[in-house]
Amino acid sequence: MDPFSNFITGTVTLFSDPLGILIFFGGVVGGMLFGAIPGVSMLTLAAILLPFTAHLSAEHGIMLFSVIYCTGVYGGAITAILFNIPGAPENAPTAFDGYPMTRKGQAGKAVGAAVMCSAIGGTVSAIIMMAATAPIANWAISAFGPPEIFALVFFGLAVAATVGAKTLWKGWLSILLGLIIAVVGMDPVGGIERYDFNMPYLLAGIHFIPTILGFFAVSEIFVQAERKATGVYEAPKLSVNFPTLSELIAHKFAVFRSIVIGFFCGILPGIGATLAAFMGYNEAVRWSKDPSEFGKGKLEGVISSETANNAATGAAMIPLLALGLPGGALTAMMVGVFQMHDMEPGPLVFLNSPDLVWVVFAAMFFANLSILFVGFLETKTIINLLRIPFQFLAPLILLLATVGAYAVRGLVIDVVVMFIAGVAGFFLRRSGYSVAGIVLGLILGKIGEQTFAQAMQMLHFEWTGFYDRPIAAFLILAALLTVAGSIYSAFFKKERQ
Amino acid sequence: MMNTKKFLVSVGSVVTAMTLSAGTAFAGCATDGLPGSMDRPGGFPERALGMVVPYGPAGGSGQIAQAMAQAVTELTGVSINRDHKPGGSGTVGMTAYLATPANGYTVLEHIDDASSAHALDSGRPNPAEDLIPLVISQITFSQIYIRTNEDRYTDWNSFVEWVKAQDGKATIANVSKEGSMERINMKYLTDSTGMKIQQISFDKGAPRYGALAGGQVDALFEQPGDVRKFLDSGTFKPILTLLHSRPGVFADVPSLTDAGFDFEPLLRFRGFYVHKDAPADRVAWLQWAFQKAFCEKSYQDFNESKYMNLIESFRDSDGARELITATIAQYRDVYKQLGMEVK
Repeated sequence: MDPFSNFITGTVTLFSDPLGILIFFGGVVGGMLFGAIPGVSMLTLAAILLPFTAHLSAEHGIMLFSVIYCTGVYGGAITAILFNIPGAPENAPTAFDGYPMTRKGQAGKAVGAAVMCSAIGGTVSAIIMMAATAPIANWAISAFGPPEIFALVFFGLAVAATVGAKTLWKGWLSILLGLIIAVVGMDPVGGIERYDFNMPYLLAGIHFIPTILGFFAVSEIFVQAERKATGVYEAPKLSVNFPTLSELIAHKFAVFRSIVIGFFCGILPGIGATLAAFMGYNEAVRWSKDPSEFGKGKLEGVISSETANNAATGAAMIPLLALGLPGGALTAMMVGVFQMHDMEPGPLVFLNSPDLVWVVFAAMFFANLSILFVGFLETKTIINLLRIPFQFLAPLILLLATVGAYAVRGLVIDVVVMFIAGVAGFFLRRSGYSVAGIVLGLILGKIGEQTFAQAMQMLHFEWTGFYDRPIAAFLILAALLTVAGSIYSAFFKKERQ
Repeated sequence: MMNTKKFLVSVGSVVTAMTLSAGTAFAGCATDGLPGSMDRPGGFPERALGMVVPYGPAGGSGQIAQAMAQAVTELTGVSINRDHKPGGSGTVGMTAYLATPANGYTVLEHIDDASSAHALDSGRPNPAEDLIPLVISQITFSQIYIRTNEDRYTDWNSFVEWVKAQDGKATIANVSKEGSMERINMKYLTDSTGMKIQQISFDKGAPRYGALAGGQVDALFEQPGDVRKFLDSGTFKPILTLLHSRPGVFADVPSLTDAGFDFEPLLRFRGFYVHKDAPADRVAWLQWAFQKAFCEKSYQDFNESKYMNLIESFRDSDGARELITATIAQYRDVYKQLGMEVK
């Protein structure tokens, strides 16, 4: 049967089964809720549900996880936009511009854009997944090894200096600080212990979720508290005005670019939605005529980040289903669901269980579409949280952030890290440094260090080996040109002006 | 001073003999002889148990923790809440566990990394002495894999020949952290064959397996249970089993003896532990529960799905101590040979 007929069959199977429908909508709502609460992510929900999937059929179990994946990635955007608390790392870039939009009274527009673009990114990605899973998976693992992934990260970092800082140098210093934080703990390749100060907990490194919560949520509370104390505080204006169709059409290239980037990052095993969101955002900055607008409440920032992270969801299913290679933690748990039903994801699934595969494909397609409807309903209600006065909202946010930081690993040190990051973020922001750049450096630094070390091992420690690999060479040259371009803009253009 | 080679052979012989004898001694399941129920000492446990897992929920440790927790619950009706504390190659989980009260209500899952960490630094806890092993419920061996459609080499001998011809440019994916089981076994192999091969360290499974499937590396060092899906789908094939015998499922794959090696390979093992200061009657109940749960159908099915039934995967508390002690001794000896600082 052709893919379209298979899709129809999968859809009919999904919606002709009352239990299947119940599980589908349970996954949609559960993913959104758990995605929205910081620290208690979709992974938490998945881990809780994992043992229970043994009592479900294989179709229902895998379908539930795939639906949670789609809606969970979107769910964290709401708190990122409204309160500067990204529900998950892949929503952090959404906060860069989403929260400033809320401060400017454009919360409805930002949330509406997140809803629309998450749905578009996820749906298109699901369609590509249905059309060409096997060839895409095989191409991705052949073309992209550690040297290419490192080059991709380097390319991402090259533009990050222009995000959110007052000057280029402060942007680079912000990234450098993130990179330094990223090297705390055991090195990811040789297992060498670094900067642990004889504290065993630091061997695991500084986790990025408490860091994100500190730099974003806690520092924001401090900033607003200072404004309140000095009498310059202005409550965010409540707005439920969604973006107009013409606004969305005006960003069609940003949407398209982010779909390509998100999909591309999603199909690389072990990379996933977080890198997708950061890369999507970075490319929006790179292609912008006025990059300085980013970080101050630009709609394109929200669109690019949310399109890319949801585009990664369908893509991450490709290596999982075609090759048995999970792209991230949630898809790795899906392997566990397969195994509970005496199955293994991989090429044999398409041969042995085509019904299951197409039910999952159909469920992911409709889960992304359902983000549109459930998301809009959710938006109309949840946005009213902004009506809560600051003196009540601030402790609530601090409480949520504290619970979120602790829930990651059940370690008090993560709460301490969050508050240190909060205080540091407060002063760094006042001095014109970019907390977005620090977070970018931290997240991309961890991936970049690992892939750089692996690449050097593969290339026998010869730097020039990168230039023997066309994709890596192209990305590194593009990154170097970007750095040169930003230095030129920062100095020579300024001098002329 | 004991001759190194003789020492390693003797240590390895202990482990192998235990493995094989355990395999022949239990025609049914290892703990069929234990009573089907045991009185709870003083009502213990009166509430759910906790289990610290030093790795994430999706990996091998997360899966065994989930499977054992389920089996213990099926057997005793006592729930087990798993608390994942990943990071630092198990160090974070171990530290967090040692900070919990020694009342028997919290147990620890850990792998042989805890033994190698102690071998390298005696300041780190010794799982055989600073903890009480309840059961070791997974023991497995490693293999070398290549792509099934590989045409540059097709078996172990042609692989070694090809690697030697590359003059150090050939690559193998593994978890080659300093002092790890993988690195030590690879040292044995490279020393024995005289081949030079670049080890590429991937700490997560998916990128590691993707590297071989996508042709980024030339071979893979792994345990069979972790790559079973690739074996079943015909994507990978083993060319060497790091054991001196050929397990039935891999009867056509040469063993170390077949390949002419006399070193004793290190094994991967996972087990469950409790504080050494926990009350003795509670420890006895936990030993019974975890050892008996090993033979629950759900756990046996899980182990079978992971190829953990190819050699005897069970060790009771005493057997676990012997295995851990022998492993630590073997690691220490190799570390010294490698010139690593053993504290």
